[in-house]
Amino acid sequence: MIQLEHIHKSYGTNEVLKGISGRIAPGDVVAIIGPSGSGKSTLLRTINLLDPPTSGKVYINDTCITEKGINIEEIRTKIGMVFQQFNLFPHMTILENITYAPRKVKKMPPQKAEKLAKKLLKQVGLSNKEQAYPASLSGGQKQRAAIARALAMNPEIILFDEPTSALDPEMVKEVLNVIKELVNTGITIVIVTHEMGFAREVADYIWFIDEGHLVENTLASSFFKKTKTKRAAEFLEQIL
Amino acid sequence: MVLNFERIGPSIPYILEGIQVTLSYTAVSLCLGFFLGSLLALCKISHIAPLRWFARFYTSLFRGTPLLVQLTLIYYATPQLIGYNISVWEAGILSFTLNSTAYLSEHFRSGIESIDKGQIEAALALGIPYSLMMRDIILPQAIRVCLPSLVNESIDLLKESALISIIGGADIMRRASIVANEKYLFFEPFLVAAVLYYVLVLMLTFISARVEKRMKQS
Repeated sequence: MIQLEHIHKSYGTNEVLKGISGRIAPGDVVAIIGPSGSGKSTLLRTINLLDPPTSGKVYINDTCITEKGINIEEIRTKIGMVFQQFNLFPHMTILENITYAPRKVKKMPPQKAEKLAKKLLKQVGLSNKEQAYPASLSGGQKQRAAIARALAMNPEIILFDEPTSALDPEMVKEVLNVIKELVNTGITIVIVTHEMGFAREVADYIWFIDEGHLVENTLASSFFKKTKTKRAAEFLEQIL
Repeated sequence: MVLNFERIGPSIPYILEGIQVTLSYTAVSLCLGFFLGSLLALCKISHIAPLRWFARFYTSLFRGTPLLVQLTLIYYATPQLIGYNISVWEAGILSFTLNSTAYLSEHFRSGIESIDKGQIEAALALGIPYSLMMRDIILPQAIRVCLPSLVNESIDLLKESALISIIGGADIMRRASIVANEKYLFFEPFLVAAVLYYVLVLMLTFISARVEKRMKQS
């Protein structure tokens, strides 16, 4: 469960998030959409405190993680994250990329971590890339490896920060398909995306963000039929 | 001009033995300098202000004074200051290490800062603690980036280790001057010394080129 209460975030005098509150139930898929510069990614990054909010509270499963003295490292092991730029570790093989955190952070025995990594690589269709280095992979393959790396920590929540925005068009689908397979596995998914078709297909809820406000928080099915606000309607009109 | 290499011929093995001395000063100081330099680099990027101040002051001090002055100060002043009779070996290792720590920390710092912020974010998002992130994710990449400047630093230290001869360390340079004074011949023994240093530097360059190539492949 994720709960956000009055999240504000400023960089100097520039207020990016202007009081956002919302709740995401376990197993839900939420797509955060909105114009560029609206604060979508920043909002996503407040959930695991990569960007700590200037004020407001973030709860993960009833634990207020914005409180002082919280062991954020432990919380983060439960929240996977997939980045636009993949951020694989370039000096490690794909297998090492995936096994590193389970071994070093969760103290998983190496054989067990390797077995898990192989299973995940199979799941994302990269079984033949175990010993490859990230540099030799295509963008789509890198992103699938990055998803496997996040899944290796067995997270309750997984955050996707524009996972297909840095990809060549022909690779978008392979990554979206991998994400699609995570839906209905019980994992909570929050995804910032520009892929409206994808949002429509997989998301339970749409959060429409504009100028730092959560303008709409609606069931995906009704959002794409008829938005509640004019602003969201204009946005959809522009991109669809 | 008459060159009398045959006269110093019997002394050449003596000069050659200096290679081991020169190399051990260089290698030991470099290893210690690597370790301390990376720690000092971490101080430079630390969130704790006094650590940053200390690191900056340290670097400016050791870069701002000649190595020869540092070496003689450490060798001659230590007994006066704390009553400890410091050996040539200790004084050499200490000053070379402290000096290269200052330079290496600058290379490491710029190397660390050149690593994409996404690497840190990915590590944080996986719940990897700071110390592990630095050791296993950031520093290995930073070292690759600054490898060429690390090689330069090593070459510099190898050459500057000749300063140890001033306080009596029996390195290549010292042995060459002993032979020179003994035979009253200067060109020949110092030419041998120059060639030895050059060959050592060439070997170092060769090895580092191989290492760099291997790192690029992965």
